[in-house]
Amino acid sequence: MRIRATSRPSRTAVAATAVAATAVAALLGGACATAPLAGAAPSGKPRTVVAVAAENGYADVISQIGGRYVTVTAIMSNPNTDPHTFESSARVSREVGAARLVVQNGLGYDSFMTRIEQASPSSSRKVIDVQRLLGLPDSTPNPHLWYKPTTMPAVAKAVAKVLTHFQPAHAAYFQRDLQVFDASLAPYDRELARIKSAFPHAMVATTEPVADYMLQAAGVDDMTPWALQADIMNTVDPPPQGVSLQDDLLTGRKVGALVYNEQVTSSVTEAFLKLAQASRIPVVGVYETMPTPGYHFQTWMLAEADALYDALAHRTSSPKL
Amino acid sequence: MGGFWSHVVEPGFFQSQTVQVALLVGGVVAAISGVVGVFAVLRGQSFAGHAFGDISAAGGAGAFLLNISPLFGFLGMSLVAAGCMEAIGVRRVRGRDVATGVVLGAGLGTSALFLYFNTTLHSTSGAAISVLFGSLFVISSSTVPAVVASAAGALAIVLLLYRPLLLSSVGDDIAASRGVAVRVTGAVFLLAMAATVALAAITIGAILSTALLVGPAATALRMTKRPGTAAASAAAIGVAATWLGCLLAYDSYYWPPVDHGWPVSFCIVAVILISYLVVEVARSHRLRNASARAGSADQTTAAAPHPGVPSHGGPDALGASRTD
Repeated sequence: MRIRATSRPSRTAVAATAVAATAVAALLGGACATAPLAGAAPSGKPRTVVAVAAENGYADVISQIGGRYVTVTAIMSNPNTDPHTFESSARVSREVGAARLVVQNGLGYDSFMTRIEQASPSSSRKVIDVQRLLGLPDSTPNPHLWYKPTTMPAVAKAVAKVLTHFQPAHAAYFQRDLQVFDASLAPYDRELARIKSAFPHAMVATTEPVADYMLQAAGVDDMTPWALQADIMNTVDPPPQGVSLQDDLLTGRKVGALVYNEQVTSSVTEAFLKLAQASRIPVVGVYETMPTPGYHFQTWMLAEADALYDALAHRTSSPKL
Repeated sequence: MGGFWSHVVEPGFFQSQTVQVALLVGGVVAAISGVVGVFAVLRGQSFAGHAFGDISAAGGAGAFLLNISPLFGFLGMSLVAAGCMEAIGVRRVRGRDVATGVVLGAGLGTSALFLYFNTTLHSTSGAAISVLFGSLFVISSSTVPAVVASAAGALAIVLLLYRPLLLSSVGDDIAASRGVAVRVTGAVFLLAMAATVALAAITIGAILSTALLVGPAATALRMTKRPGTAAASAAAIGVAATWLGCLLAYDSYYWPPVDHGWPVSFCIVAVILISYLVVEVARSHRLRNASARAGSADQTTAAAPHPGVPSHGGPDALGASRTD
C-alpha cells in the first residue's frame, strides 16, 4: 500500500480534526503494515495498472485500493484553481491515452475526459464514470458527487472490481484494501450524524454548491437559493435580487455559518465573505479539489465536517484547510 | 396603476445596494462616454475608440491576475495604448487604421494569455466574461471614487480643449492656421478617450465599450449638428439607456430562466441600438416628408424619395396629402 507522507501543513488543524485525522492515518497505516503479508507480492517492483483520475480525490481512492499494484495520475489536483474552468492539454491526452483504468466524475464537470477517450479509443481501457455508476441523470444539477457519503464506497468497489479484472492474482489484496477504505470512512459518517443530531435543521448559507451533498447528509438546511449558487458555479453574474437575499441571510444573522468555496471565488463571493465576517458569522472553507499534501480523501472530508461542527457548536471560523 | 408600476419596476430595485452602485457608476460612465463619443465620431476615431476597448481588455485580465481592481488595469492599459497609437501615427489618416489594428490585435492576444494564466493559477472565476462583456451588477462600491475621478478628468480635458478640438475636427490645416497645436490637442484627446473607454469597459465590457462611446453620440449627431447640444444629448441618451438597461436586467430576474438574470450589458446595448434606430427612422421620415413637401410645392420632383432611404409609400402619401 503506497501512501504519501502525511506531513500535515501547520496552517491546518482544528485540534479535533487533527485527532480524527490521526485516527484515520493509523487505520491506513495498519493496512500498510498488513497488506504485503497477504498480498503475496514478489520482492522488487510489481507490474502496475496505469490509472488516471480526472480529480485527485478519486485518484487518492484508486491508490488506496490498488496500493503497490497501481500507478495513479490525477488531472485536476490544484486546490488553488477553479476546476470548472479547467483547460485540458496535450499532456492530459497522453496520460489518458496510456491509462487502462480511468475514473471521471461526469455531469459535465470533466467532459474533456470523454472527448479525449473518444479521440484515443482503446478496447482494454476501463472507464468508471461516477455519474453513470450512481445511475444519475444528466439533469442532476449538482455535479460535486464526491461529497455524497455514498459515492466513494461505490467508486472504491468499482475500482477494486476493475483492478481485479486486470490483476486477478491480487484479488484478495484489493478486497482487503476495499474493506479498510470503507471502514476508514466511519469517522466522517459519525461526524455527519453528530451534526445531524446536535443541530437538526441548522441553517447555513453557501456561495457555491460544492459541499451541498455533505450539508444534506448532515441534515443542515442550505438557505442560499439554488439559482444564486448555480450562477456562481457557472461564473455568471448573479442578479441583484439573489445577492440581496444572501446579504439578508448574513446581515440578519439568519444562518449559523457561511460555507465558502475557496476555489470558485469572485468579487461577489468576496463581498459575501466580508459581510459574514462583519456580521460575526463563522466561515467554513470547502474545496473542490483535495488539498495536498497532507490530506487523503477521508481526512479531507472529515476536516470539513469537523469545521462545520465547530462553526455551529463554537462559532469557530475555519476559512482555509 | 400601482400594480402596473410594480411590474415595470420590480420590487427592491431602488433598495438594492448592487443596483445603486450600478446606477451611479453606469450613469457617470455613460455621461462621459456620450460627451467624448461625440468628438470621437466627429473626428472619425470610432475605430480607435473600439481598439482602446479591446486593448484595455489585456489590462482588465492582468488586473484579475494581480488581484487589483479591474478599473486600474483597464485604465493603465488603455492609456499605454493611447501612447502607442500616437507614436505609431494615429493622426495620419493613412496610418490610422493600420496602427490601430496592430495594437488592437496585440492587446486582445495578451488578454487571452492573461485569462489563461488566470484560469490555471487562480481560483478567481468568471474573469473572461467579466473582462469582455462587463459586470455592472458586480462592481464593488469601493471603485466609485476612482470612476468619478477618471470621468471628471476626461470631462475637464474635453472642456479645456473644446474649441481646438472642434477646429481640428473640421480639418488639421484650418486648425493649424488658427493657431491650434493640432498634434498636442489630438494626443491629449486620445488620453481622454482612452480613459473614457476604460470606464465603459468596466461597465459593459471591453468588447462592448464602443457601444456606449459611439452609440449615443451617433444618435445625438443624427438629431443635431451643433456639437455642444450633441454632447449634452449624447450624455442624456447614454445615461437613459444605461439606467433603462439596468432596470430591464433587474426585471429579467422574473423572465425565463426564472431566478437568474439577463446580462445587464445586453440590456444596455439593446436600448442603445433601439434608440439609434428610432431616431434614424424618425429622421428619414422627416426628410422624406420634407422632400415630399418640396416636391408638391414645385410639382416637378413629386414624391421622389430621399436618396438612400427605402420608400414605403404610405407615410409619403400621407405627408403629401396633408400638405395639400
